[in-house]
Amino acid sequence: MAGTISLQPPIQARSIERAYAETASIPWYIWCCMLSVLSAVVGSAWDISWHETVGRDTFWTPAHMMIYLSGVLAGIACGYLILSTTFQKDSRLRDVSISMWGFRGPLGAFICAWGAVAMIAAGPFDNWWHNSYGLDVKILSPPHVLLALGMTGIRFGALVLVLAEMNRAEGAYYRKLERLLFLSVVFLMGMTVGIMQELTNRVLMHGAKFYLVVMFAAPIWIATVAWVSRNKWAATIMTAMYTAMHLCFTWIFPMFPAVPKLGPVYQNVTHLVPPDFPMLLIVPAIVFDLLRQHTTMWSRWKQAATLGAAFLVSFIAVQWPFADFLMSPPSRNRIFETTNYPYFIPSTSAWVRNVFVHTEHTPGQFWLKMAIALVVSVLMVRLGMAWGEWMRRIRR
Amino acid sequence: MKKELRRRMCVAAVILLVAAIPVLAHVGSPDVFYEGDAGPYHLFVTVRMPQVIPGVAEIQVRCENGDVNSVQIVPLRLNGPGSNLPPTPDLAKVSKDDPQFFTGSLWLMEFGALQVRVMVDGAKGKGELSVPVASFAQRTFPMEKPLAGLMVVMLLVLGIGVISIAGAGAREASLERGELPGPSNARRARIVMVVTIIVVAGLLYLGKSWWRLEDSDYQGRVNFYKPPTAETTLEDGKRLIIRARGQNPKWSERINMGEVVPDHNHLMHLFLIEMPGMNRMWHLHPTLAEGGAFADDLPTMPSGHYQVFADVVDSRGFPWTLVGAVDLPEINGKPLGGDDSTWSGEAISSTPGKDDTVAQLPDGGRMIWERGPGPLKATTAMDFKFSVQDKDGKPVQDLEPYMGMAGHAEFVRSDLSVFAHVHPAGSVPMASLEMAQAGLMGDGASMQGMTAMAPASGPMPAEVSFPYGFPKPGDYRIFVQVKRAGKVETGVFDASVQ
Repeated sequence: MAGTISLQPPIQARSIERAYAETASIPWYIWCCMLSVLSAVVGSAWDISWHETVGRDTFWTPAHMMIYLSGVLAGIACGYLILSTTFQKDSRLRDVSISMWGFRGPLGAFICAWGAVAMIAAGPFDNWWHNSYGLDVKILSPPHVLLALGMTGIRFGALVLVLAEMNRAEGAYYRKLERLLFLSVVFLMGMTVGIMQELTNRVLMHGAKFYLVVMFAAPIWIATVAWVSRNKWAATIMTAMYTAMHLCFTWIFPMFPAVPKLGPVYQNVTHLVPPDFPMLLIVPAIVFDLLRQHTTMWSRWKQAATLGAAFLVSFIAVQWPFADFLMSPPSRNRIFETTNYPYFIPSTSAWVRNVFVHTEHTPGQFWLKMAIALVVSVLMVRLGMAWGEWMRRIRR
Repeated sequence: MKKELRRRMCVAAVILLVAAIPVLAHVGSPDVFYEGDAGPYHLFVTVRMPQVIPGVAEIQVRCENGDVNSVQIVPLRLNGPGSNLPPTPDLAKVSKDDPQFFTGSLWLMEFGALQVRVMVDGAKGKGELSVPVASFAQRTFPMEKPLAGLMVVMLLVLGIGVISIAGAGAREASLERGELPGPSNARRARIVMVVTIIVVAGLLYLGKSWWRLEDSDYQGRVNFYKPPTAETTLEDGKRLIIRARGQNPKWSERINMGEVVPDHNHLMHLFLIEMPGMNRMWHLHPTLAEGGAFADDLPTMPSGHYQVFADVVDSRGFPWTLVGAVDLPEINGKPLGGDDSTWSGEAISSTPGKDDTVAQLPDGGRMIWERGPGPLKATTAMDFKFSVQDKDGKPVQDLEPYMGMAGHAEFVRSDLSVFAHVHPAGSVPMASLEMAQAGLMGDGASMQGMTAMAPASGPMPAEVSFPYGFPKPGDYRIFVQVKRAGKVETGVFDASVQ
């Protein structure tokens, strides 16, 4: 063995680890989970459009299949990952896994598996709900929320899988994973904003309730991504990706011809009804990033109060007048798509008549709800900051 | 004394049963039976209504002619918005055994007055008809025990799972490669798990409260469509006042009894059936009084306890049957006139399996139920045919339209849980049928109308038929009413249904 230099095992291991951290490719299970989440994202948007255009004529619609494929894919991938990490003594992930109920695996894998089980549990619950209360034609129902919790679990699990890998990575590999991080948060924000879409219709945009709902759904992810990423424009990039994804659905869906199969029909629908034009969350996200860069030395609560208030105020500043535009004839084109209504919306509805619905009946109610929205925004930003900080520490 | 006690107990039992009646339109008989013409094709349509809305209705179409190639079905609103934009029709499947029997399923997505449009294509070209249907939820279903058990297990797995994941994450997720968790990690994990338990418990509580709210909301909708109570008062010893009170407080806000529409010439068809026994029946036609009440000067009738069924059709074409009971003293009222009619005879038979097929008429004639052999089966669509003979046993030649139709039939179950007022066109109210016709184009409308009403001229056949199906087994009394030489005659048949 003369002439060879023997490295001490810890140093050798550290070097190999460092080399891996810089040059590795994205592991298969992260791709599987991202594919699973993408399947649920597209499936959910398609399913909502299907319900609004065709109506649910059968459980076996392609959109439903995409949603449930998400649960199956994530469940199988993460189940296998947990079992292989538990029982293969030489698994690369053994030292970077957590233990639960005698099993070992990355934290994200357990969260994804939990999400898959929740999605499976939602199936018979939803079926019973339809038998007992009729087919629910709304997004917000208890079994749908259980399904959404499952989907959220898978999305969150995918995010944690990415984070664990990203926080151990460096260089080009880190940057690759950071892009997946943005995408993961986009999917999570899409989930929370999407499930609230019945409460964020354009007719509600001149009411305080709308802003309260959005503050519950969006700032937490803006703050989370800003705190977990090293990129100073993280919130802007993530929100831009969210807006682009939403616009894809808004612009692509109307290209597909479709007609209602259920009745009564109140609207002459000839193509897939797209989601509404996305909210202008990109503006408060830019404001958020700009302010964050100038408040890094502040205390966390002071920072949260400033960023939360700025988020709400800048959002109101752009969304309020934009709502006026969305109600006006110039918005009725292929860009803004404001003439698409589900088949079951009567022509007498405020939506079709482009009339604002005032959710508060007195100025007192309005300002009280706006004050609550401000508090919620601050709390959600603070929660997002705490989450982001915790996420930066995830290694497993 | 014992007799009086028995009578009171029967009355109490009847009142309890009436309170338990689950559905209307008519009462306890939600399925729709219709016979009519779609252009040149004579059809018998059955709509099996779902128990919950939105739900799936099963449609059965039988063609009499034998020359139909295809049948399409589609649901619409009965009138107003939603009645003129049909969704893509569903193609009904043809039976393997009977090429003129078609079946299909339709989602009924809304409560209220809807119609099922049937479009036929065949050797004689195209034709269509519309069947009005009253769409409402009849009940909610509790979760079966095996499913409830499965859901509890899933809930436990998910609840314990999320607590364990939170604990494991807090304990180990931020450890470097190969690092073992220390006491501080374990302490943090315990704190996180306690917080997670509180959050999970809070979410479960909120979820349960939300579920209860949804259930209460849906139950309110079920109650809204339950038969309104017919609240009766007697004025001046002979004037009966009827007011409707819905089972849901919002009912009277949304349903204006002052705007009900005429249904074969009358705003209300009132049936007073003496209980127990159903040995007397009056078919009367109160008129609209002040404040949405209905009033009628009663004819002469003996004292007794009477079951009240009162049919009306609201302005949207939705049929309501008001249900109640009233104890009346002996009435020295007006003689029967107009379209009012009465019958008295034997009490309903309680002999199991005893089915009447012949009813004696007051003038010595007979009404014969031309039913086939074999027992009567519940939930089976049938054509109830009755022929009328004079005292010499010959088919009568003097039948006249009774309120525009060849006849009227009332099917009443012995426990009063079923009441259906049926015509030769079926169980659909004529007022609703007229609204449905308004949406049809071309020959379909005119042909459908001709079938629903009696012939405008020429002698009427001595036979009348009613498409209907008993909703459940039990003892039924069938009142069949026709008009001969200006006088309404009622034949009564008791039927035991399996």
